[in-house]
Amino acid sequence: MIKPRLLKFFCTTLVIFFSAVTFAEDDDKLQFSGFARLVLGYLDDKDANYLDYDNSIRIDKESLIGLQLDYQALDNLAFTGQLIGHTDKNRDSGIEWLYLTYTPTKKLKFKLGRQRTPFLNYSDVIDVGYAYPWATLPQQTYPRHFFSTFDGAMVSYEIPGKEFSLNIEGYWGYFDEDIVVAERTVNAKTTNFSGLIGHINYNNWTFRGSYHQGRTDVELNDLSEFSEILAQFGFNQSAESLKTVGLTEVFQLSANYENVNYFVRAELNHIQADFVFVPDSDGYFLSAGYHYYPFSSYISYSKNKADYDQAANEIPIGLSPLLDSLAFSYQAIFNQLPVDSSEAFTLGTRWDIQPGLALKGEISLIKGQGDDRAFFTVNNPEFGRKALLYLLALEWVF
Amino acid sequence: MQSFIRLMILIFCIFCDMCYARETILIVANIDDKAMKLTRQEVRNIFMGGTSPYELTAIALPIENLTRVLFNTRVVGLTESRIQSYWAQMKFSGRKRPPRELNSEQLVISFLEENQGAVGYLPAHVDIPSDLTVIFEMK
Repeated sequence: MIKPRLLKFFCTTLVIFFSAVTFAEDDDKLQFSGFARLVLGYLDDKDANYLDYDNSIRIDKESLIGLQLDYQALDNLAFTGQLIGHTDKNRDSGIEWLYLTYTPTKKLKFKLGRQRTPFLNYSDVIDVGYAYPWATLPQQTYPRHFFSTFDGAMVSYEIPGKEFSLNIEGYWGYFDEDIVVAERTVNAKTTNFSGLIGHINYNNWTFRGSYHQGRTDVELNDLSEFSEILAQFGFNQSAESLKTVGLTEVFQLSANYENVNYFVRAELNHIQADFVFVPDSDGYFLSAGYHYYPFSSYISYSKNKADYDQAANEIPIGLSPLLDSLAFSYQAIFNQLPVDSSEAFTLGTRWDIQPGLALKGEISLIKGQGDDRAFFTVNNPEFGRKALLYLLALEWVF
Repeated sequence: MQSFIRLMILIFCIFCDMCYARETILIVANIDDKAMKLTRQEVRNIFMGGTSPYELTAIALPIENLTRVLFNTRVVGLTESRIQSYWAQMKFSGRKRPPRELNSEQLVISFLEENQGAVGYLPAHVDIPSDLTVIFEMK
């Protein structure tokens, strides 16, 4: 029996598609376009879940539909809105983008409004599966909790050259929304959120480097209260280590080479956060593929390493029951932090059925170490931190 | 006999296809500077949604057109499916839009003649009007 959520998803798909077709013909200034993906996933181990996939075939985790509306009000002024409907109940459906674009010259562009945060190479098209070769972006370099929208302004400037072209983007804004950290959903406000991105195209090479930073205030009242108690006792280092306000920085580098026969893509990032609940993280992936029209087959390897700040070791143990309780409570916070270091080997094939429609199948071996969570949700403590994930994805753009 | 005819048709088609694959691709523009020449990188950038110092606007042919296939593989250096993926990334990240498409080479020539700054790709066997300029040639 089809679940109501899936039924609603398919009905929305049909309504959006026919609306798009109808309205697209009405006016050249108004353009509807969209994307959709149906992703089937299966994890071969009943002792854990990965990206919410478990030991049954699931279609309601990464399947979605998006509709984009572009209205060209003047030659140099346009409005863009993007709505996304997710089948995953943990992801918010609704307006993803809503911004206006002002293009004073062909080389210079300003965007103002709600936009996707362009942390990594594919983070602003993470939901547009047709745009990348893989069935899903590697969790090791594209942690799902980290990507969202921001409200603000972006400027883009292109410098075309005879042998290369350079594009520079800068943005400034803020975001205020719920995020999931250490298995807790908390409200996070980031102000003075800014970034600088450089793209270089040289023949079939594309390079991207970026830096992003923001001051984030995470709403964790129980932690803040406990931090205040520690400060009152004079354990300032311990209190400071539990602070919920701090700087988050993201560094990213990527290189792609592609021709008619094959592609090689690599990306690395470093995430640094001044919070107890968000670990410093280094991630990278390397992927190589071979095109044999209408198919492309690829092999990928991705890995990340996450490290939390060390707990301050200043509360004496054995002097009084009160101090012991304080020390154990403090240490317990650090002990329960999940470590998401892991690696994944992936083999897959993409079949371009027709322009705008592709089918992908891939299999990934995901491995973690020891007691690390490694992005798994562990159902059985005996779970060996190793599982195969099978994905089949139908990607559509219209 | 029927099998022989089919075989001959197949050989003829393969031969024609091979001849076509060797066809020179011309990048033709409506510009005042008749001496202007672009590099392959500049042409690639213009047709992939980028800009040029000369304020040129790209015009493309439809997906199934053979000239487009040759242009993609020899000038852009990507397959059509990869170019479609690229446009999905550009369009849904609000960065670039694909060039306007016209249905035939003849429509491209007419459009180029009527629009200053327009640039398109054409096969070498097509007659290029004298008021248009060849700015790049891919043999």
